[in-house]
Amino acid sequence: MFNYRILGLLKRELNEKLLSKTFIIMTLALPALMFLIIGVQTLLMSYEGDEDTKLELITESDLLTNKFKTELDELPFIKNNYYSFEYNTMSKESFKDYLENKKEDLLSEKIQGIFFFSDSSKESKIIEYYSKAPKNATITQKLNSYFNKVLVENYFINKNLSENDLDFARKRVDFTGYKISKDQDIEEEGYGGLILSYILTFLLYISLIMMGQMTMQSVMEEKTSRVVEVLLSSVNSKELMTSKIFGAAITGVIQMAVWLTPIVLVSFTTIFALPTELAVNITVGQIIYLLFNFFLGLLTFLGLFAMIGSIFENAQEAQSGMWPVLMLIMIPFFIALSMVKNPSNPIVEIASMFPFANIIVMPARMTLIDVPLWQFILSIVVAIATIIAIFPVAGKIFRIGILRTGKKPKWSEVVKWLKYKD
Amino acid sequence: MNALEVRNLTKTFDGITAVDNATFEVPEGSIFGLIGRNGAGKTTTIRMMMNIYMPDSGEVILRGTKVGQNFKNKVGYLPEERGLYKKMKVWDTLLFFSEIKGNAGKNVQKKANEYLKRFDLLDRKNSKIEDLSKGNQQKIQFISTILHEPEFIILDEPFSGLDPINTNLLREIIVEEKKKGKVIILSTHLMDFAERMCDHIAMIDHGKIILNGSLNSIKQKYAQKNISLTYKGDLSFLNSNPIIEKISDYGNSTGIKVKDASYIQQLLKLLIENKIEVKNFSANEISLQEIFIELAGKDEHELMEVANV
Repeated sequence: MFNYRILGLLKRELNEKLLSKTFIIMTLALPALMFLIIGVQTLLMSYEGDEDTKLELITESDLLTNKFKTELDELPFIKNNYYSFEYNTMSKESFKDYLENKKEDLLSEKIQGIFFFSDSSKESKIIEYYSKAPKNATITQKLNSYFNKVLVENYFINKNLSENDLDFARKRVDFTGYKISKDQDIEEEGYGGLILSYILTFLLYISLIMMGQMTMQSVMEEKTSRVVEVLLSSVNSKELMTSKIFGAAITGVIQMAVWLTPIVLVSFTTIFALPTELAVNITVGQIIYLLFNFFLGLLTFLGLFAMIGSIFENAQEAQSGMWPVLMLIMIPFFIALSMVKNPSNPIVEIASMFPFANIIVMPARMTLIDVPLWQFILSIVVAIATIIAIFPVAGKIFRIGILRTGKKPKWSEVVKWLKYKD
Repeated sequence: MNALEVRNLTKTFDGITAVDNATFEVPEGSIFGLIGRNGAGKTTTIRMMMNIYMPDSGEVILRGTKVGQNFKNKVGYLPEERGLYKKMKVWDTLLFFSEIKGNAGKNVQKKANEYLKRFDLLDRKNSKIEDLSKGNQQKIQFISTILHEPEFIILDEPFSGLDPINTNLLREIIVEEKKKGKVIILSTHLMDFAERMCDHIAMIDHGKIILNGSLNSIKQKYAQKNISLTYKGDLSFLNSNPIIEKISDYGNSTGIKVKDASYIQQLLKLLIENKIEVKNFSANEISLQEIFIELAGKDEHELMEVANV
C-alpha cells in the first residue's frame, strides 16, 4: 500500500507540517494556554469584589440585635474590616422612615445594604434585604449560614435543646461519590474524571479542527499553485490524497501525544501533587485507545477536509463548503460537554458509537463511566467502517476537484462528479 | 516504430467536447509537436495521455500496452501552468520531484548540481522558490522535469515566458535529449518553433486532430502548387488571373497557390513583368502556419479528408 511515491509525498508532508513554526508553537503553547485560561478563570471566580462592604443590620428587639452583634463580630472577615456592620434596633414603622433617609446612601453605595429582621422573621426566617443590587449573591451567600445560626439559636433557646442537638439541626447533608466499576475496588471519586473528560473533549475538538484546516489549506495551495498537475504526472490522485491525509494524521497524533503528556504525568507519577479530589485515573490501555481512536478520527475528518479543499480554490469559498464538516465535529462536541450532567444518558451512549460522533464522545464518556468492552469495539468498528465508506466518495471528488479551476462549483455539480468515469 | 499510439480519445466536460476522437502516433526517438491554438484541446489530450484525466472513450498505447502508472514512471512533464511549492527550497524541490519518480541518491544529486550550474542557478540552491524570479522558477521546473532521466519528456508550451537566451538553452537541451534517444512531446501554439524543432506533428483544432504525420511529408503534400513569396510592390493585378487559385497574406510572407504546378514559372515571369521586386520566391514551399490557417479555416467535412497524411 505504501510505495515509494507515497513515502516520498509523506516525507514532504511531515517535513512541512512537523517543522512548521505554527505547528510547533500551537503544540507547545496550547497546553500552556489552557492552563492560563483555567488559571484566569479560577482567579476571576475567587475574586468576589466585595471587600470594604458596609452593611446595616436592624431588628425590632435589642436582644436579637445584640445576639447578631456577638455572633458576627467574631467572624474573621468582619474582624479585619473586610465587611463592617452597623447595628440598630427599631420598630417596623420607624424603619420605613429610616429607610427613606438612607436611600441616598444606598444609591451612592455609601452602604451596600440593609438587613431588616422584623419580629415575624424570628419564626419565618424571612429577612428583608434592601440594596441597590439585592441579587448580589456574594453578600447573601456569605452571611446566610451565620444569620441562620443566630435565628436557630434564638428560636430554640427556650426549648431546652443541647448544643449537640442544635449543631445537628444546623448541619447540611453532604454527598460523597463512590464510583462503581467492574475491576477496581469501589473508590471515592473526585472531580478528576470530570475535568479529564472536559480536557479530552476540548483537545480532540481543537486538534481535529486545526489539522482539518491545515489539510484543507495545503490541498487548496497545491491546487491554486498548480503543483498538483506536476504531482499527478508522477502519482495518482489516490496516492496523493492518502499521503496528504496520513501526513496530517501522523502529525495530529504526535501533537495529541504531546498534549496528553501532562495528563499521563499527573496520572502515573507524583510530580504534580494534586489533592485526591482532583486525582486523574487513566490507564495505559485508555491512552493507547485514545490515540488510536483519534488517528481514526483524523483519517475520517481529514478525508472530508481534503475533499472540501479540492473543490474550492480559496479560503473564502471553502468557508461555505466547510460548515457541514464542522457540524459533524461540533455536534458531538456539545454532546460530549452535556455528558457532565449525566454521563449515562442514552443520547450520549448512542453518540459514542455513532459514525463521526464516536470519535469525540467515546473518549469523554470513558473517563466518566466504565464503558463495556463491546461498546469500545463497536465504536472502533463503526469508525473504520465510516472511513471505508467515505474514502471512495472523497477520493472521487478529490480527483475531479483538484484539477478543476474557474468558478465556484455548485453542490449539484459536485454530486455529478461522482458519476464521472474513472 | 511508434512509442505511443493515441487511439480515438474523447473527453467531454459538462457537455463541451474538449477532445473529439483524437488519433495520432508518436514515433520512437522523435520530437513530436502537438500544435494548435490556445484552447484547442492540447493540454486535455496530454493529460489523458498521462492518465491524469480518464478519457470518456479511447485509449493510449505505450509500446503495445495501455498506459498507466508504468508510463507515469517514465515521463517527465512540464505543465503549461507551472507549479512548485513556494516555500520549498530549490534543492529540496529538485530532490523531491525526483524521489516520487523513484530516483534518489548520489547520482541524482550530482546531476542536479550539473543542471543548476548549466542554468546558472547554483548559487540559489538554498533559496526558497518564492524568492526566485519567474524565469528562474521556470528553469527549476524544467530541471525537475528531466532530472530523473525520463524516457518521455512532455513539455506543454515550454518556451512561454522565457527570454531568448534561455529559450536557446532549453532548445539545446531538448535536442540533446533527443540524441540520447528520448521521445519528446511538446505542445505549442507557436508554429515556427514547431516547424524548426519537430519531426512529427499532430495539429489539433476544436478538439479534433486535423493533421497528423511527419513534418516532411506534410510539407511536401501541402507545398505542391504553393509559392512562398517575399516582395515589394502591388500584387493586385494577380487577383483576376486565371492561373491563381488563392493568395494569402501572412505578414512577413505571402502564400500563392497556383491552379497547376506548371504555372509556377509563368507566375514568376508575371511578377517580373509587373515590376514586382522579388526578394524571395520559394516554389513548392509552405510554412506550418500557412497549413494551419488553411486547414483550420475549412469546415468539418474537408478536415476529415485531409487528416492522416
